[in-house]
Order: sequence, then C-alpha cells, then structure tokens
Amino acid sequence: MSLTSRGTPPVGELSARSVLGGDASRVQRTGRPLPFGDERHLQAHEWLVDESYLLSAQKYEEWLDLLTEDVHYLMPVRVTTALGSGFDTSPGMAHFDEDKYSLSRRVARFLTEHAWTEDPPSRLRHYVTNVRTFATDDPEHIVVESAILLFRSRGDVQESALVSAGREDLLRADGDGRRLARRTIMADESVIRMQNLAIFL
Amino acid sequence: MTEQTSVLRDVRRGMIPAHIYNDGAVFALEKERLFSRAWVFTAHESEIAKPGDYVVRRVLEDSFIVTRDEKGEIRAHFNMCLHRGMQVCRAELGNASHFRCPYHGWSYRNDGRLVGLPFHQDAYGGEEGFRRKGQRLLPAPNLATYNGMIFISLDPQAPPLADYLGDFRFYLDYYTKQSSGGIELRGPQRWRIKANWKIGAENFAGDMYHTPQTHTSVVEIGLFREPKAEKRKDGCTYWAGNGGGTTYKLPPGGLDERLRYVGYPQEMIERMKATWSPEQLAVIGDNGFMISAASLFPNLSFVHNWPRVADSEDVLPFISIRQWQPIGADETEVLSWFAVDAQAPEEFKALSYKAYLMCFGSTGMFEQDDVENWVSLTSTAAGSMARRLLLNSRMGMLADGAPVTPDLSPERFAGPGSARVGYSEYNQRELLNRWADHLERPIDAPAAVEVGTADGRNPEGCA
Repeated sequence: MSLTSRGTPPVGELSARSVLGGDASRVQRTGRPLPFGDERHLQAHEWLVDESYLLSAQKYEEWLDLLTEDVHYLMPVRVTTALGSGFDTSPGMAHFDEDKYSLSRRVARFLTEHAWTEDPPSRLRHYVTNVRTFATDDPEHIVVESAILLFRSRGDVQESALVSAGREDLLRADGDGRRLARRTIMADESVIRMQNLAIFL
Repeated sequence: MTEQTSVLRDVRRGMIPAHIYNDGAVFALEKERLFSRAWVFTAHESEIAKPGDYVVRRVLEDSFIVTRDEKGEIRAHFNMCLHRGMQVCRAELGNASHFRCPYHGWSYRNDGRLVGLPFHQDAYGGEEGFRRKGQRLLPAPNLATYNGMIFISLDPQAPPLADYLGDFRFYLDYYTKQSSGGIELRGPQRWRIKANWKIGAENFAGDMYHTPQTHTSVVEIGLFREPKAEKRKDGCTYWAGNGGGTTYKLPPGGLDERLRYVGYPQEMIERMKATWSPEQLAVIGDNGFMISAASLFPNLSFVHNWPRVADSEDVLPFISIRQWQPIGADETEVLSWFAVDAQAPEEFKALSYKAYLMCFGSTGMFEQDDVENWVSLTSTAAGSMARRLLLNSRMGMLADGAPVTPDLSPERFAGPGSARVGYSEYNQRELLNRWADHLERPIDAPAAVEVGTADGRNPEGCA
C-alpha cells in the first residue's frame, strides 16, 4: 500500500517535517514487511484492533493510556498537486499536530457535559485493514501501517459521513504491551466531508 | 420576487424569515446578485510568495488561478481554457511558469497570455483565422489587495476595494498587519458542513451572546479563561465600513501590559507600537478592548483568541482567517487559514499555530460546537414551518428602535464606526442589511468576451 504520491517524502518522515513534531521519535521502518505469521505482526495487528474498539466506543481515557508521554499525533492536510511536484500535503498546516497535552485537553472536553458536538453522541465504527508491520533498527520499536475507514452517524436521518485514511504508527515496547509513540494519518481527501474532526483516527 | 420583497422588508426590521438559511430560491438570488458583485477574498500574497507560485480558488462555482507572474505581479484568471472550456489547472497549488491544457495542448504563461496553440497555421490559417496575439485567460473583472489580502470582484464596475472596506481597514490591521512584515498565511484546512454560509458570517460578526453557552466546555477544561458570561458581556461590538466584530474587555493596565496579558512577547509589542496608529493603539491601551471575532461582508471572518497551549498559566494568541464558501443553500465549504505575523519569533509562530489547532479549524474545540449548532439550524430551516417563523434578531434595540445601550463615545472607544458594550445583534443586522441591499438590486448582464476573432472583446486583449 502506498500512502503517498510519487516523489513525495515517506510518511514516516512527515512527523519530523511538521511544525510541532520536534520532540517526536525519529525511528523509521527498515526492510520489507514482516511475514503475517511473525509474532510482532500478530501483536501489532491485535493492538490496532483493540485500539479501534476504544476509539469507536469513545473510551478516550483508556485510549490516552495507550499513548507514550512523547507521542506525536499528526494528520496533515492533503492537497492536490501536479504529478512530480514533490509534495501532497499543505506546507506548515495540519488537521492534527498534537502532543499528549493537547490530546488530553480534547479528551477532557469530551468528558464535560457541554461538548455539544457529541451530545447526542455520534455512532462511530472504525474499520482497520491492510495491516503491514515493519522492523526498525531499534528492537524496542516496530512500525505498523494500516488503512482505516471511519463511519460516523449523527442524529436519526442526517447523512452519515466517512473518512478514509492510511496510517503509519510507531509502536514502542512498554512492559508486556506496546504504546503508540507516533502516528501519521494520511486522509484520502483534500476537502474533509465531515462537519468536524471531533473524532480520533 | 414579491415573496422575496417581503423577506427583505422583514430582514430590514430585524425580523428574519427562518427559511433564508435553507432556501434554494434565496440562494439563487445570492448567486446572481451578491456574489456576482461583492469583493470576495481569494488568497494572501504570502501564499504565492515566489514568481510562478499559484493557488486555485473559487468564487462560488467559478475557479480562478491566482498567480504571481515572472515580474512579481499578482493576477487572477478564470480557470477555463479559451478553446474548449477545459479546466486549465487542476492542482490546488504549486509553482509553474506555464499552464498547459490537457485537452488539446493550448498553453498559457503564468501571466495568463496564450503562448502555445498547436497547429495554429495548419488548423486555423494562423493569425488570420485565429488571433492568438493578445489572447489571455479571462482575467478576474476586478482585483485589488489590502495588507497582502487578494480580493476579486466579478463586477467590472465594482467600487474600489479601499472604499468597499472603508473604515473596517482600521480593524483589519489588527489581524493582518502587526508589523511592517505583515502576515504569513498557512493552510487552508478545508471541509464541508451542511450549514448555510450566512450563519458563520453572522456569528463571527457579532455574536458575543453565544460564547458563554456554546463554549462552556473550553473554559471547563482550562483551555480558555475568558468566555464566562460576565467577561463576555463587558466587551464591545463595533461596526465600520463593510465589516464589524467583537472584542473582550481587558483587565486594567497600560498598552504593554494588556498586550502581554493576551500573550504577546515584548518584541512583537514594540513592532505593533511602530506599526499601528495612535487610535489603533488607544483602543487597546486606553479603552481596554482586545479584538476577537469579526466578519467582512459577505463571507470572510477573522478570529483572535488567546488560549493556554501547555500545562501552565501562560496563554498564546493566534489569528485565523476563514471563508464561508457557499456550496448550496444548505452547504458551505469552510476554508480556515492560520495567520501569524511574519516577523514573529519562530517559537511564537509554532505555539500560536498550536493554539489555533486546539481552538479553531477542522479539529478546533471552539469550532466543533459552533458547527454542530449551525448544521442543526440549517436542517430545521428547510421545511414549511420555518416559512411561518420570523426570528427576532433585534437584540440591543427597544420596540421603537431606541438602543438598549448607548453608543460608546470617542473617549471610551477610539476606533471608527459605531461601538457599544454588551450583547446585541447590531452587527448581524448590519450584515443582513447589506445582504438585502444586494438581493433587491438587479444586475446588468455582463458583456460577453469573444475569443480569437478580429473584433475580440477580451478586456485586456489589446494590452
């Protein structure tokens, strides 16, 4: 699966190029994807499926616990550019360019009684597929690539909305499990067709 | 039209027929009589900083390539090939010396001139059959800039931009000229909402009343310390020229102290003092008001706020410019840019951007709740019951039109136009009155432009 257009930088490097990714981990994938039978791939896939359950169920406090303290959560703004122009994300602009503090404020807001955009709450379903796992030079880290489709329904008859995206995650070993140290979300649309991104991908 | 006449009459007395927020006939009239005439924002010069840089922007359905040509001149051309009408440029932004139409290969220099016409001699018999000389993509009928903001009007007879902006320029400077370097624009984030475009423009123009209710949650989580009801109603709204906005009342102190209170570092304050007029400085330093949200008629809005961006007491100010681009009666594309003073320290620029992302734009915590309301309003306005309901938009006015709160005297507010403290809907009425002015005035059919003939009437064809 290719997350970016021809000639554009690898997704894993967008974090380093973003405005607020200065403190993010720089560990990158190496080599070919791990075989589907590899223990690391199986663990990573399970991690993503478990995480998507939390995101769909809006169990955001539990989700925050899955993120490292130095997490960088980035969703660039995609732009339509001529073939060969060397970029397909908006320079210096993103939808999300978050650290743990800003994510924690977003979660805290959903826990108040006055986040009207989610009252009544949306019905969410995160579909995770096309999972590939890569080793890195650091045995503590693996890179996982996935495709995600979010279905969001609000109210009774309002048209539902979709966001389709590719993701590249850096997972860091932590005790028995793993935590998310870096996520780059590549939306497949330049103009988002959802009233807001009061969701996580 | 008879029905629209009564709609406009009601709007002018501050009673809004609810269906104007979701009515195909009203939208058709807005297209014909408002967006064909008004000055509409397209881009900022910082988005096309180098020769050859371009962005593609729309005025309703009309796509324009906004470029900086090789001589550095800013231009906007209708994005349609003169031959078969193909969209010439299909990217959103980039850098190009020429645009080549993919259909038959006609090519245009970035100043709009037609330079490549395959088989000109064989197919057309050369200049005799098709006058290539002097042909160019159709230029926007009018283009002008203020503080680097590029506006176009589809009306060749449009009043000069400076007249159109009028005294609102005084307030535009707070957002777009904090130093001699002006602003840099980043983005836009673009997303579509099922809401009528007027709602956002009205909200940003003057709705201080919604802040304590709609935005309760952002105060509860410690993001913003100001929107509490008491704080908000101490601010004033102002209207000047073709725009107006809201302010917050600042705590006691001098100019420097008050600018530091919203998070500006001293070096930026020094540049503001060197850039702004004594009156512009007096609004903050003497009168104690800090600009917040604003709208310029018809569909451009601004916001300036100062949230916490980390786990500390410090706040950081940010500026966003946004356009409510109408898609239909019930749909709007929001284009939301982050703006920052070009001479600001790099660290300030990064944190100000963080403040923007947390508060406004596609993921912003203020904006999320606003849009939820506007979508809901729009869908409720679609039916027949909404045609029976006249919404009262007379806040701030008694039955006889007398103001609830008097205008601020020049001693208490040094800015131009009129200003008053507290909650009111004066600005929303100002906006909708201008809307009514356009809707009731028929337009003259624009002259057609003929391509390639001897008497071709391409407006800049002879240049």
